[in-house]
Amino acid sequence: MSHPLSRRTALLGAAATAALTAAGCSPAQQSSSASSSSAPVTVTVRLWDDQVQKAYDAGFAEFSKANPNITVKTTLVPWADYFTKLRTDAAAGNADDIFLINGSYIQPYVTGNLISEIGSDFADLRGGWSQAAIDQYTFSGKLYGVPQLTDGGIALYYNKDLLAAAGVTPADLASLTWAPGAGAGDTLLPLLKKLTKDANGKRADEAGFDGSKPAVWGYNASQDLQAIYYNFIGSNGGQFQDSTGKFVFASDQSAAAFQYIVDLINTHKVAPAASNTNANGDFARDQFLQGKIAIFQSGVYNLKNVADGAKFAWGIAPLPAGPAGPVSVVNTIVIAGNAKSKNPDAAKKVLRWLGSDGAAYIGKAGAALPAVTAQQQSFTDFWKAKNVDPTQFAKQGELKTLPAPSGANYGAAFSAWKPIFDEIFLGRTPVADGLAKAQEAANKAINS
Amino acid sequence: MTSRRAGRRRAPDFLAYGILLVGAVLTLAPFVLSVMTALKTPLQLASEPVLAPPDPVTLSNMQRLFTEYGFVSPVVVTAEVVVVVLVGQLAFSVMAAFAFAKLHFPGREALFWLYLATLMVPQVVTVIPLYTMFSAVGLRNTFWSLVLPFVLGSPYAIFLLREYFRGIPDDIIAAARIDGAGTWRILVQIVVPLSRPILATLTIITVVSHWNSFLWPLIITTGRDWQVVTVATAALQTQYNANWTLVMAATTLAIAPLLVIFALFSRRIVGSIALTGFK
Amino acid sequence: MTTPVPGTVRPRTVADRPGARRRRRVEAAWAYGLLGPSLIGISLFLVLPILVVLWLSLNHWDLLSPMRFIGLANWIDILTDPTFGNSLAVTVVFVLMVIPVQTVLGLVIALLLSRGLRGSWFFRIVYVVPWVCAPLALGVVWKWIYAPFGGALNALLGTSTEWLTTPALALPAVAAVSIWSQVGYVALFFLAGLAAIPSQVLEAAAIDGASPWQIFWSIKLPLLLPTTFFVLVTGVISSFQAFDHIWALTPGGGPDHATDVIASRIYLEAFGGAFHLGRASAMAVVLFVLLVVVTVIQQRWFAKRVTYDLS
Repeated sequence: MSHPLSRRTALLGAAATAALTAAGCSPAQQSSSASSSSAPVTVTVRLWDDQVQKAYDAGFAEFSKANPNITVKTTLVPWADYFTKLRTDAAAGNADDIFLINGSYIQPYVTGNLISEIGSDFADLRGGWSQAAIDQYTFSGKLYGVPQLTDGGIALYYNKDLLAAAGVTPADLASLTWAPGAGAGDTLLPLLKKLTKDANGKRADEAGFDGSKPAVWGYNASQDLQAIYYNFIGSNGGQFQDSTGKFVFASDQSAAAFQYIVDLINTHKVAPAASNTNANGDFARDQFLQGKIAIFQSGVYNLKNVADGAKFAWGIAPLPAGPAGPVSVVNTIVIAGNAKSKNPDAAKKVLRWLGSDGAAYIGKAGAALPAVTAQQQSFTDFWKAKNVDPTQFAKQGELKTLPAPSGANYGAAFSAWKPIFDEIFLGRTPVADGLAKAQEAANKAINS
Repeated sequence: MTSRRAGRRRAPDFLAYGILLVGAVLTLAPFVLSVMTALKTPLQLASEPVLAPPDPVTLSNMQRLFTEYGFVSPVVVTAEVVVVVLVGQLAFSVMAAFAFAKLHFPGREALFWLYLATLMVPQVVTVIPLYTMFSAVGLRNTFWSLVLPFVLGSPYAIFLLREYFRGIPDDIIAAARIDGAGTWRILVQIVVPLSRPILATLTIITVVSHWNSFLWPLIITTGRDWQVVTVATAALQTQYNANWTLVMAATTLAIAPLLVIFALFSRRIVGSIALTGFK
Repeated sequence: MTTPVPGTVRPRTVADRPGARRRRRVEAAWAYGLLGPSLIGISLFLVLPILVVLWLSLNHWDLLSPMRFIGLANWIDILTDPTFGNSLAVTVVFVLMVIPVQTVLGLVIALLLSRGLRGSWFFRIVYVVPWVCAPLALGVVWKWIYAPFGGALNALLGTSTEWLTTPALALPAVAAVSIWSQVGYVALFFLAGLAAIPSQVLEAAAIDGASPWQIFWSIKLPLLLPTTFFVLVTGVISSFQAFDHIWALTPGGGPDHATDVIASRIYLEAFGGAFHLGRASAMAVVLFVLLVVVTVIQQRWFAKRVTYDLS
């Protein structure tokens, strides 16, 4: 009789198990460190933007030179998963020491005492921060988060080659207007039709145009809150959320704005089908960079991506105006300290640095406009050196604006309206019906 | 008579082969297509028909997976999880099954029914409470959180092993006892060696199911440290949605090790599925 | 213990001898020692979670604020929630799409493979390949195959159908992947069932002049009843819990919740954005009860109708 699993092999197996678990080894894991005052500590920073990550990494290398006991490690969690992962992590004590967070999602973290107050330890720095940001992130008189990135307003990136091929000049983009139902005074739709081309080379304003075989889209109309629909709602005099936090996006003005966007996609076919863009927030940007979208409406957060990725000549033009003028969403993003951090002192040091000199690195790399006002010049300088003028975003931010949505349970509200919006943008649910349904669901979810 | 039968059978045989062949092509085509895509450059995928063979064959997607997208760690972590779960689950399941099959003790029937009843507990039902429990004790996103729920034995393995052990004649064990062998020696030196076929089958089942596991690792880990292959593949797909050559390289990587095991042990696996229910 | 249990180490008579009580105690100690690890594992990770999930279903918990006992509010909520009703319906439709097709196809393949053709082994192995692979990875592969732009299926058909984002097509598309990955596995069970039919029975029927069709309907199919039942029940149970490939193909429940099966709803409700862990727990309990009912019906059937021994 053979003994393939003799005691010896069993023991070997057990030993191997012990060795593996004792090592507990993940090649991706950094050595953890004790948190006594003199011992070296690692502070982890979580963010969703890879451009900002690169800028931070460069900055933290400098920071560690000045603070040899503190190593700072950044963790990138893609936007699509960012706020779901952050929540499950925060609840389980796995959130990073410091993390980027935006105004829409911050509230439950504040009420749940999961992020620390930016209190008296930062008093000397507050004067250097954008006041709008401080206001946005102050709850019951306490500030939660060090202002980091200012999104300014939204504008149009355009592909000069595609414009030229369609006989359009950048000057034609300087004062575009839209009107509900593409009625009187609408110059946006005719322009987009001129820019859109099918596989046979037919333009959307020519007979025989086949929108089901697109080659070039004029525009990135899509279910993009910050870049698209918020601005259309605002420029039609509508609101998404009222001052009490109630969702009111089913109002007539807002519905007309949604209808206009949905028509651009499904009736006029001057933008990619929603099946491509509903679930993939980067689709439009990637298509623009591949030269398949002529006008890409977006924010300063995509400036570096466009500058690095575009292999064609491009420019920036103002947002189209609606009946209520050009209205843009503005947003500031803060970086917050985890209240359960095991290294609160080191984390505070990093936060202080990010609220002062550290913010320069985001600007210097051109990644985003710092919300630390003294460091904003670095951003302008970076782009000036590249012959790019990003002032359009800041200008837009100074015009009429809408605040970004927020609420106690914004995540739940978002997941309540998202599937309904998906159907609206796909053209399968009539806009008015869908918005009414979505508004009811969102209002039910926001406070639950 | 034989010739007449052969004549009668030829046409249906031909038809049978035809159907089976179509089925085989349909079964394998997704694999072939995805591997082909993984070996193409993004440019080739975009510019040439999907069915065109990769030309030139490029390993750059696979290479970038490891160098740029950090797929070394998920492969190592998954392998560690599989090894630890395999060793623990088999050892502890063998022990439990032996107790149920060959030892007398008060409460045996009741306990066995409890074990059997837990076979009905689906994973989807336990993930929320387990997340809560692991979070409460600070074990989320650790190696232990990946292995602990499985390493102490599986009711399914215990059930199969018990059935098998019961087929081992009592005489052999009684004889060993008379020779002075203790319970542990009987288990390790007699029962285990006699159970090689079922142990081999269980080994394969455990490796397959834990290499493929997705929902639990998705919930109980975060970030790169303890990311397993399935979760890394899903994350890559979410983030690089349209970059199919890269994503297909990841799926190829997630599938390939099991295909190798399958190729090596296909006869045993195929032979044992119907016997064990191979879950 | 009053009745001797068959298949145990020692005959009952030994216990009547002096010293037997001590030996029995030693044996029981050994038994519990051997059972220890699995008993801990099963209690902590399979039994306790059921109690915890029941408790969670009576609480409001959004992960960030403290848990709050709310009695049956979650239960009332989910039982009147059209989204959860939709998920139950989607799951049932999914099961009804997958199970009949994979069972019939599996049977056909098994019948073809049981003809003893040369190369049958090759086909057996090929058909089981998808079943060994990670459902998540297969889901991602099929996501590419179904992609409207640059996907293999549309390229082959010369169309640009949006398989996964059209509500009417999404669930059939997802079900097709299920069937594709499981049909070989089902076929193997039928093959084993066919092999267990005594060849004399088939020969006798053939000598009596029964046509292959008659042999199939009157002999093979009735004798395959236990196998069929086993395949149906295990298939239903696993399809009720399907998650990985459905999630990979249509994350977030698919277009207009068209593929929002129970497992995906539970995940979304708990970890996918809504963060209602209490509601998700109540849904999980509903799923568990459904599966227990299916299993109990199966047990009854097995006890009454068939004498099918798996071992």
